[in-house]
Amino acid sequence: MISQVLGLVMLVYLVVAILFLMAELWSSPRLQNGARVLLWAGLGAHTAALLARWLGSYRLAVVHAAPAALAENLRLIILHAPLSNFYESLIFFAWTLPALGVISFRRYLKGYLGAGVALLACLLLAYASFGGVDSRIKPLMPALKSNWLLIHVVTAFLGYAAFALAFGAALLYLVQDRRPRASLPPVAQLDRLIYRATVLGFFLLTLGILTGAVWAETAWGRYWSWDPKETWSLITWFIYATLLHARLLKGWQGRRIAWLAVLGFMAVLFTYFGVSFLLAGLHSYLT
Amino acid sequence: MVESPASAKPKSWLWGSLTSIRLTVFLLLILAAVAVIGTVVPQNQPPGQYFMRYGEGLGGLLYHLGLARVYYSPWFLLPMGLLALNILSCLIHGLPQAFRRILRPFTPEAALALPERGKFSWPAGVDPRAHVRAVLRQELGQFRQANLSAQEIYLYERGRFRPLGPYLVHLALLLILTGGLIGKFWGLEGSLPLDQGEVAQNFQVADAQHPLDFQVRLDRFQVQFYEQDGIPKEFRSDLTFLKDGKEVARATCRVNDPVSFGGLTFYQASYGARPEGPVHLKVRHGDQDQSLELPLRRLVDLPGGQAQLMLLRVDGNLQGYGPAAQLAFREGSGHPQIFWVLQDHPELGEQPDHYRFRAEAIPFQYYSVFQVRRDPGVWWVYAGFILFLPGFYLAFLRPAARWAVVLEVAAQGGGQARLLGASPRNREDFAASLERLLEELKKGTSP
Repeated sequence: MISQVLGLVMLVYLVVAILFLMAELWSSPRLQNGARVLLWAGLGAHTAALLARWLGSYRLAVVHAAPAALAENLRLIILHAPLSNFYESLIFFAWTLPALGVISFRRYLKGYLGAGVALLACLLLAYASFGGVDSRIKPLMPALKSNWLLIHVVTAFLGYAAFALAFGAALLYLVQDRRPRASLPPVAQLDRLIYRATVLGFFLLTLGILTGAVWAETAWGRYWSWDPKETWSLITWFIYATLLHARLLKGWQGRRIAWLAVLGFMAVLFTYFGVSFLLAGLHSYLT
Repeated sequence: MVESPASAKPKSWLWGSLTSIRLTVFLLLILAAVAVIGTVVPQNQPPGQYFMRYGEGLGGLLYHLGLARVYYSPWFLLPMGLLALNILSCLIHGLPQAFRRILRPFTPEAALALPERGKFSWPAGVDPRAHVRAVLRQELGQFRQANLSAQEIYLYERGRFRPLGPYLVHLALLLILTGGLIGKFWGLEGSLPLDQGEVAQNFQVADAQHPLDFQVRLDRFQVQFYEQDGIPKEFRSDLTFLKDGKEVARATCRVNDPVSFGGLTFYQASYGARPEGPVHLKVRHGDQDQSLELPLRRLVDLPGGQAQLMLLRVDGNLQGYGPAAQLAFREGSGHPQIFWVLQDHPELGEQPDHYRFRAEAIPFQYYSVFQVRRDPGVWWVYAGFILFLPGFYLAFLRPAARWAVVLEVAAQGGGQARLLGASPRNREDFAASLERLLEELKKGTSP
């Protein structure tokens, strides 16, 4: 049932992307509005699917150990947020993109950028469904049984989503800068969007790293182990720190900032996918 | 790193470089590059691994250059130290000025010195005050009013403490680095494997035994598995701490739930199984069945004498299939063959040709492995984490802005007003507010 809903959501995102593109090409506000409404609908169904998975995961846990008190029950609910394996992280990452888009960057979420967000969400869902990713709900291994799991994963992925937005804006910037087109947003607006999304992403990534460190301290007695995922998140952090400093204090703007945003997102992708597949480490339960 | 102030004294070359943002950007990129090396080259392996993987020449080079422990080598520590120095210099350089700036009150005089952003006027017989107040309250928020001889000034200030933000963030980073250093020099980290019933007086730090100033006994170790998958559900150790043979405290140590005693913290790190005596095997070769007892790591001749067998290790629950023994088998001078034999599932697993091994009994006992640690730097690190949050909020999410509306009433009635304001590092929002403000202000006052 959940996977059918997610398949539908995937199609909806695809249609949204096409509608946004068509709205842009024919400069039609009606199509634009239609795409937005449809995006909200897709996001709603996506949210419902996430919650259903959460419920399923919780039910499975109750079978293993029925909670006695309310506090214990609450903890069990928090622990079984659907964020504990690669499949679930893909579904959640796909959710954060349109969610962050409609919450924090509503004004920008249209045209090519809107299409890009919807398309990326669609691709992530497609990968989760058809990429041979194990979609079974698995019981939690002991190291994952921590209240930090929820906040750590949520902040990290929201950060990734913000960086994805900055990346999209940076690509548009580079296109627009080379061959300006009236149909694309003006460069000044894109430059600003890159900066804003980066600030938000940087804050969330930092929170993700900090919560991960506190968790690692209680789980393994080490807040930092130079695990590949940790290291790559730090590399990503260095790159975006460079971007912020270059822009705020050296007055860099435009192309150079856009290229840094592209580089940063490459590091994000490697932190998420590359580390899981190419480098073994403490986070390897993700695969 | 920090906004460069217009200092009167020319900076020396060294101080100028240390406080330069160029150095910061350079160091950040270097650190990123070195960190990449650390994830590509496997870390903390014995030298032989590097020779095997990269060959004699390159492997030796990697090892001797310190790239096998890159995060503890000068390649990483030097730029990191320089970055810390860079941050510290910027703090020393800019913090006093930031303090002066936030302590400088927003007086009418300061307001009049702000750049002028727009003008509007009103004819005789109109009193613009009520309208101006309403607009300011709605568009900006709470404002103050001051009267100079011929002028009436409305003052609005926001984000006064913003200049502190970047300094708090960088102070937080310094605290975290300090915590790391403290942990490195005054911390202690080791591991302690314990059998059930065993009492430990030492634990393993690097290659040496480090004495505990108390004893710790593992009363009971339990591991539970999920029914499917064989994933461990929970493992826990019941510990008793003793001093001079007397019980002082009891505690249960679980994953994500460490136990502290006597200045050390015990983390449930992992567990293992060790054989409690020889594994009993049935060997079928051709149509002959024979029994065999296999002690740990001892070469045993198989009946017939053509082949040899060795017990390498045991596992309490191999992938959810129950107890298993790992064996090495060699026939004549052929290559050794390594395989698992499962006690409850004799049908599983590949075995050497012409032989069939069945485990009758795999006696084993679990042991518990603890990470034992003392790190006085952790609180510095956490202090840094906590300080980072308000710092980031002030620096990025609380843009500073100062606005002033100066009303001048002419002697013959009517008058004009000037809108002044500034918002460093927030041009776009400022421009948008300016446009709105001016429009609203003009709406109700222009003739």
